[in-house]
This record gives sequence, structure tokens and C-alpha cells, in this order.
Amino acid sequence: MADALTRSMRASHVLVAILVVASLIFAAVGVAKGDTFYLRLGTEALIFAGLALSVDILLGYTGLLSLGQALYFGLGAYVSALVLMVTPSFWAAMGGAFAAAVVVGVVGGVIANRVRGVYFALITFGMAQVAAKVVYNMRSLGASDGLIGVPIINVNFGFAAISSASPAGFFLFTLAFIIILYALAAYLLDTPFGRLLIALKANERRVPFLGYDTVTPRLMAYVIAAVIAALSGALYPMLRGFVSPELLFFSTSGNAVITVVTGGVGTLIGALYGGILLTLLKSVIGSYTEHHLVVIGLLFMGAVIFLPRGLMGIVRPAIERLLARRTKS
Amino acid sequence: MTYKTTMMAALLAATALSGAQAADPIKIGVVTPLSGTYAGIGQQVRWGLELATKEVNAAGGIAGRQVELIFEDEEANPAVAVQKADKLFQVNKVDFLTGTVNSGSTLAVGQVAERAGKLIATTVSFADSITTDKCSPNVFRVNARAGQQSAALAVWLSKDKPKANVFYLGPDYEMGRSTVAAFKSAAEKVGATSSGEVFAPLDSKDYTQYFGQLRSARAQVLYTSVAGNDTVRLLTQMQEFGLLTNLTVVGASGTVTAQNLPAIGKAAEGFVTGVGYSAQIDTPENKKFVAAFQAANKMDPDLYGADSYGLIYAYKAAVEKAGSTDTDKVRKALEDLKWQTPQGEKTLRAGDHQAIQTMYVVRVTGGKFMTVGQVSGDDAIGPDACPRF
Amino acid sequence: MSTAIEYFQFVLAPQMLIGLVLGVAVILVALGLTIIFGLLDVINMSHGEFYALGAFIALALGSIGLPFWLLVILVPLVMLPIGYVVERGLIQRVFHSSERHVTTLLLTFGLGLVMEDAFRLVFGPNPHKPETPIPGAIDVFGVFLPLYRLFLIVGGAVIVALVAVVVYRTRLGAMVRAAAFDRHMAASLGVPVQHVYAGAFAFGVALAGLAGVLLAPIYSVFPTMGRDFILMAFTVVIVGGMGSIAGVVVAGLLLTQVQAISSLYISPVWSDPIVFGIMVIMLMVRPQGLFGRLGHG
Repeated sequence: MADALTRSMRASHVLVAILVVASLIFAAVGVAKGDTFYLRLGTEALIFAGLALSVDILLGYTGLLSLGQALYFGLGAYVSALVLMVTPSFWAAMGGAFAAAVVVGVVGGVIANRVRGVYFALITFGMAQVAAKVVYNMRSLGASDGLIGVPIINVNFGFAAISSASPAGFFLFTLAFIIILYALAAYLLDTPFGRLLIALKANERRVPFLGYDTVTPRLMAYVIAAVIAALSGALYPMLRGFVSPELLFFSTSGNAVITVVTGGVGTLIGALYGGILLTLLKSVIGSYTEHHLVVIGLLFMGAVIFLPRGLMGIVRPAIERLLARRTKS
Repeated sequence: MTYKTTMMAALLAATALSGAQAADPIKIGVVTPLSGTYAGIGQQVRWGLELATKEVNAAGGIAGRQVELIFEDEEANPAVAVQKADKLFQVNKVDFLTGTVNSGSTLAVGQVAERAGKLIATTVSFADSITTDKCSPNVFRVNARAGQQSAALAVWLSKDKPKANVFYLGPDYEMGRSTVAAFKSAAEKVGATSSGEVFAPLDSKDYTQYFGQLRSARAQVLYTSVAGNDTVRLLTQMQEFGLLTNLTVVGASGTVTAQNLPAIGKAAEGFVTGVGYSAQIDTPENKKFVAAFQAANKMDPDLYGADSYGLIYAYKAAVEKAGSTDTDKVRKALEDLKWQTPQGEKTLRAGDHQAIQTMYVVRVTGGKFMTVGQVSGDDAIGPDACPRF
Repeated sequence: MSTAIEYFQFVLAPQMLIGLVLGVAVILVALGLTIIFGLLDVINMSHGEFYALGAFIALALGSIGLPFWLLVILVPLVMLPIGYVVERGLIQRVFHSSERHVTTLLLTFGLGLVMEDAFRLVFGPNPHKPETPIPGAIDVFGVFLPLYRLFLIVGGAVIVALVAVVVYRTRLGAMVRAAAFDRHMAASLGVPVQHVYAGAFAFGVALAGLAGVLLAPIYSVFPTMGRDFILMAFTVVIVGGMGSIAGVVVAGLLLTQVQAISSLYISPVWSDPIVFGIMVIMLMVRPQGLFGRLGHG
């Protein structure tokens, strides 16, 4: 008999399967209709869902709220853009973003993990603000204008290649990429390492008595989250062909937090569903009224008050019950 | 009701003129900041475009087709602007796009247009790079760029304050540094001396910390390129510290505008700038435009409103000349196009897609932008520095 | 020697005096923030928007002809019931969850988004600038200082003193501190904990509103003004010690002096990173801040 965590993880996997199937149908319809915009919007939604995933790793599994995850998202985006403008290679861009995220993530993690709770939120907020300001003023990074002219690339697998300009192709590629990030995160959190993180979240003072180190796992989680944010960010310039300092601004971090909370904290899959929901919502509401912040803000407040466990708090238990009934019968 | 009836009348007139196929409207997408820091500018862009569209439609539309504007809020964020531009091009199938304000958005949306094979025009961004080193065959600019503004202002400076001692205060980002550098070289060419420069972070709360430097420089003229609410703070704080009495403040055209002038109040008196438009330009065309704009929006047009208004007429002229809305044909028609705007005739230079126009020097007097000089378009424009076409 | 004195008189002293005004402004904004954190254990992410709300209420009331000095009293009084309702209607709903810090932070963050957009809806996107209530300026030992800024320094000191007296010397303050230290104990001693919490929040919000009224003539009024001081105010609260009034004063003065003096020698763009760096070092060396937490000795 599986324990509660494994059970809820299984329910999450069912939701992933639903997401993948829905995305495939979406892509098929998009191709049939010759659509570009919705496929690209979907791709962007998935990219920002990747950022939300990294926020959820921190918030859901270590209980630490990062208000500055855009720092790593922007880092990945800028490194990727700079690499692509020199050599249009997907793997070089991803390698660069990964390396940069590990280095900066370790430094940032050492600073931020000195503190807990609200202090962590404020220190991550501050770090991202300072980084955004530096980028905004840096001429070599295009300063406030950002960098345009990131070329269209081919993601080369040796046996096949996908062009970042192909709406459906790049959508499916991004889907696969984000799902792999999700799977890696889900796997890691189901290992003893992940359980240790959850134990730390529950009671940090007791964990050392069980013979575990508390500093390294936290730092590990922080760096993993940084890498996931940066790799998601690295896809952005491939899709849109540019980067701008706004990618590091607080609104980007804030949106990721809104996404995770609405989707369901600590579920990982909630971040993906939330990301898609928020991007679509913003796009639709934005076309009707310029006061979309009122609407988004109110929906978010409603989610915090009435859905403390997010959308997944409603959906996942239902699936868990379904699964349980099946195993019994 | 009245709006609808005029629309109907126009529609009928159009059908009568050019037959049944006229029912299909020409769609122009507008990606402009309707929320966030630049919402005030987006408002002027919207009003200018709406007024011109109403007039064009009432007079039978463009080549007999009605014009439809589709607005999207870009939140002054290039990442949002790009997504919205994509939507307008792909879903709404707009024929033309305009409205971007900050240069980051203009450049990024220009790239989207290039990849989608469409044309855009900016009526606001004045970073020189848009029509120089980062120019694009699909991007046009109908407003005056920073270089034109500095050139006009420098001519005035040499006449009114010969050999002045100038101090520079710019916002510390790309636009601020390039406007200061451009004006500095223009001013030094006409004999001004520079006594110091300082760059303040964007959204500075308190400019008083730079006043010591400003005082000790003993400058006669302060050049600044801060904008929006930053200008409100800079000028009112200077007034508070009694710095405005012996100092002439000059600046970029976006420094003092219709949006922040009421808030600055008396502290803006005497401010001089080089600009492509002023509501006080004394021509019948402009008076008619200002009256119509006032009637519709209860506010004077500023340079953004006027340049946006003029764009619709440029597009109309180009489409009618090209005989279609096809990108290549319209691009060709826009190149070297001459057309009438409230501020006089403008020419779109084929070499870099930059509008050439008479530049005005205006001084704030009694809360209005009074023209105190003008410089011909050819003297202000500077060389074509676009490497791509 | 004389050049050193001249340097002090003409360069350093004016800069420090200017920094002092900014320090008072930051303290006024941070005061409400630290009280709400110290007493309720809530990070009020919408504090900047309440600061803006105060300025906008003053703007609206001022436009119907009410004098500035009346607004200084009236606006905080109007803000009190607003703050009370926000605490009872919103914050109380998530206050008792196990992750109070995070949920209240998220809720006030959402509230801030809504408020900022609402300001734009009601007052339009363009800035407004109230007239300076006290025109003119004086010379302080050869240093030029506008009278209104002098008033702000004096007025700010009076406000801080009054707040300290209310919190530390009155029965009301004692009840509040008791509730902050141990709510169950306080409740069993007859302290109406619910009302104390709501009242403390209202008090903090009213202080933000007061800061809005007082600073509007210097910094002008516009929808996104709430973002202006908020990073600095949070930094001051952290460095000073969450919930400590003395901490806010000392840290507020210290950090703004660092900014003012450092901007003489290096580009002012670095003043934010410097202050933030101080915060990081502070958190590493002494996470409870200079003075530790209110109500916790």
C-alpha cells in the first residue's frame, strides 16, 4: 500500500497525462486551422509554467516563498539570447543557462538561505530588484531596450530538427521540455532527498536529531529551482526573438507566485495548470479592459481566501479517490 | 447615436463611391500602454488615432474602405507588447500596426512585424537607434527623433544664450544617456561649455541630493531628459530650493508634456524644448485639429496625440497611392511620402524611414507651450545612418 | 583645516540635511509597516498602496477646498475604519492558517495590485502635485532649507514620539503588546484580542496614510507611487528589527545617510545595491535586526 505522498503523486501523474493529451489535441487543432498566435501563446504559457514550477519547488517543498524567481528566469533568458546571437545552437544556449544558473544559484542560495520565512521572501525580492536594476542600466546588455535580433534556431537532435519558428513544432518541443522538468522535479522530491525537504518544512529543529544536515538540502532545493527557472527562461528568446529587462521585474516573479497559489501549492502540476490558466486569462481579460490588474488581483485574493490549496486542492483529491477505488476493485 | 449615424452615412457614401466591395474595413492594430507608468501617453495616442479615424471614415474611409482600430494594452512591457502584436497580426489580421511607446517595445514589435511580413509605425518612441543602427525595413517613425529635437534646441541656445555654461542631468538608462550625449555634442558645436553632468536613477524620489553639484557648477542652463513624474519632482524640488531663479531649464520633448504640466505648475514656467509639435502652432490646420481634439477629449493634444493623428493620414495617403494594403506596395508608397499634418508637411525619408519635419522650439509661458523659434526640417534631420537598406 | 570646514559646510552638511529629510520620509512610511509586523506578525505588502491611498484621499478632499492642516488630521481618521475593515474582512480569514506569513503576504500582495489599478481607474494615470503648504526657505548655518522640509523633520520627530508613547506608555499600548506576545494569555486576561489586532492594523495603515498626506507636496501623487518607498521601508524594518520603533528610527536615519553621503562619491545608481548589501550583511550577522522584535524583549 502506497503512502499519502506517493498516492497524491500518482494523482498528479494522471493530471499530467490529461494535460499532455489536451495539449496534443490543441496542437492538432492549431495545425489544422493554420494557427500561429494561439500555439505561440500556449508555448509562452508553458515557459512561464516552468518558472512557476520552480517557485513551487521552493514554496511547496521547503515552505520558502521566493518573490524574486524572475532573477533566474531572466538570467536564463539573457544568457540564452547572448549565446544564440554568437552561435545559434540550442545546446550551447541551454548549457550556458544551466551553468550560469548553478553559479548564481549557489551564491544566491548561500545568501538567501541564511534566513527563513518572511525574511527569505524579502531577501529574494531584494536580490531580484537589484539584478533587474543592474541589467536595466547595463549598456552591453542593451540596457532598458533589451536585446533584439535573437535568431530563429533549429533544435538539433541529430536524427531530427525542430525550428523555433514552427508554431506547432516548438509548442510540442516546449511541452516535452517542461514535462521533463516536471518529471525530474517530481522524481527528486519522491526520493529520500525530497522527503527530507518535507521533513525540514514540517519541523526544522528536529531534523538534525535524526542525523541529517539541514543546510545542504535547502541549498540543493534552491539551486534546483534556480536551474529550472533558468532553463525555462532560456526558451523565451527562442520563441520571441528578444529579451528585455522586464523579464526580471517583480511583475514576472509576482505572476509566478500567483500562478502557483491559484494552481495549488506543493503539487507541482498545479504550477503547470495555473501557468496556462493565468496566461490565457491575462490575454483574454487584457483584450476587454485595461484594468486587468483589478480582475487578476481579485481572483488571486479569492483564491488565497477560499481555495487555500488551489485548484489542485479540489481536483486532485477527486482523482485520488478514483484511483483508490480502482485499486480496490 | 450621432457617432453611429455618421458612421452609417460614411459607410453609405463609401458604398456609393466605390461599389459593393467597400464593406471590408481596413484594420489597424494599436499596441499601446493603457496601464502602467506610460498610461498617460497611451491615452494621447489613443485619442489622436481615434480622432483621425473618425474624420477619415466620415470622409469616405481609405480608398473607400472604412478604418477600424483594434486596441491592445501592452503595459509598457516589451514581452507583453510582442504577444499582443502577434495576436493582432495573426488573429485579427490587421493590415498595419502602431502605438508602441517605449523604445524597447518598438524595437521588439518591429522584429515581430518583420517576421510576420507586416508594417508598423511608431508615433512616440524617440530613441535614435530605431531609425539608425537598429533600423528595420518594416518600421517607420512619423515623430521627430531625439537628434532632431536636440538640433532644434541647440540652434535656439546659440541665439538666445550664446556661449552658455550648461549642466546636464539625465535619467540613468540608455535613453537618458544618449539624449544627454546628443544634446551635449550639439550644444558644444554651437559654442556652449559643459560644466558637469549627473545621471540619476529612474524613479528617483529626491533630486535635492544633486543640487549641491548643480549650484557649484554655476551653470546658466540646465539640460535634462528626465520624463513623466520624475520631471514633476525635479522641477518642483528645484523651485522649492530656489534654483529656478537664475537658471534656464531646457530639455527633451518628453520632459514636460500635457500629462505632467498641470502637476508641475509654475515650476515649469520658462522651460524650453525642441519638439515636433505644439498646440500653439498658429496655422488654420492646427487650430482646427486642436478644437476638434479639445471637443472630443476635454484636453489639449500634445506631441504624441498630434503625431498619432497624423499617422492615419500618412497611411491613408500611402494605401491610396499603392492601391492596396499589401506590405511591399505600402512600404514603397510610404517611402518618400509627403503628407499634411497639423504641424505642417512631413516627409518620410526612404533611406531610414524617419519623418523629416519642421522642428519647433517652444517655451512654457502661462502654462502653454508657446513657440519661440523654428528650424527647417532639413537642418534638423542629420544624416541617414541606417545600415540595412 | 579651513578647507575641511568649508567642505563640511558647503558639501557634506547640505547633503546630510537633505538625507535627513529623506530619512524622515522613509521612517514615516516604515513606522506603520513595523507596527503591523511587530503586533500582528503580518507582512503588509500593500503598505505602499495604503500610503498612496492617504495621498489620494487628501487630493480628493483638498480639491473640494479643505485646508492642508485639516487633512493632516482628517486623512488618518478616515484611514482607521478602512484599515479595520480590511483586517476583519480579509486578513482575519487567513490569519489562523499554519502558514500565516505566506498567506497574509500573498493576500496583501493581491490587495496591492487591486488598489493600484483602482487609483488609476478613479484618478487617471497622470501625476498630481499639491501646493506646498509652507512656502519659503531659511538658512541654517549657511545651508539652504525649504521651510516645509524643516517642518517635516520636526513633525516627523513629534509623530514618532507620539507613536512611541501610545505603544509603550498607555494602557491601550500595553494591551496590544500583550496580545502580540501571547494572544492566549492576553485573551484570558480579558483583552479583546480580535479588536486589538484589527485596531493595530488600522493604526499602522493610518500612519501610512498620514505619511501619504505629508509627503505628497514633496514627492507628488500618482497611481504607482506606492512602489516608491516600499523596498527602502522593508529594508529599514529588517535592519532595525521587525516591530521595533527605535529600530525604524535608527535604521531609517542611518541608511538614508549612507545613501546621501555615498552618492557624493559614487554613481547614485549604486545607492540601492549598497543599502541592500547592508541588509544582507545584517541578516547574516544579526537576523533579529538592531533592536529585535517588539513585545519580545
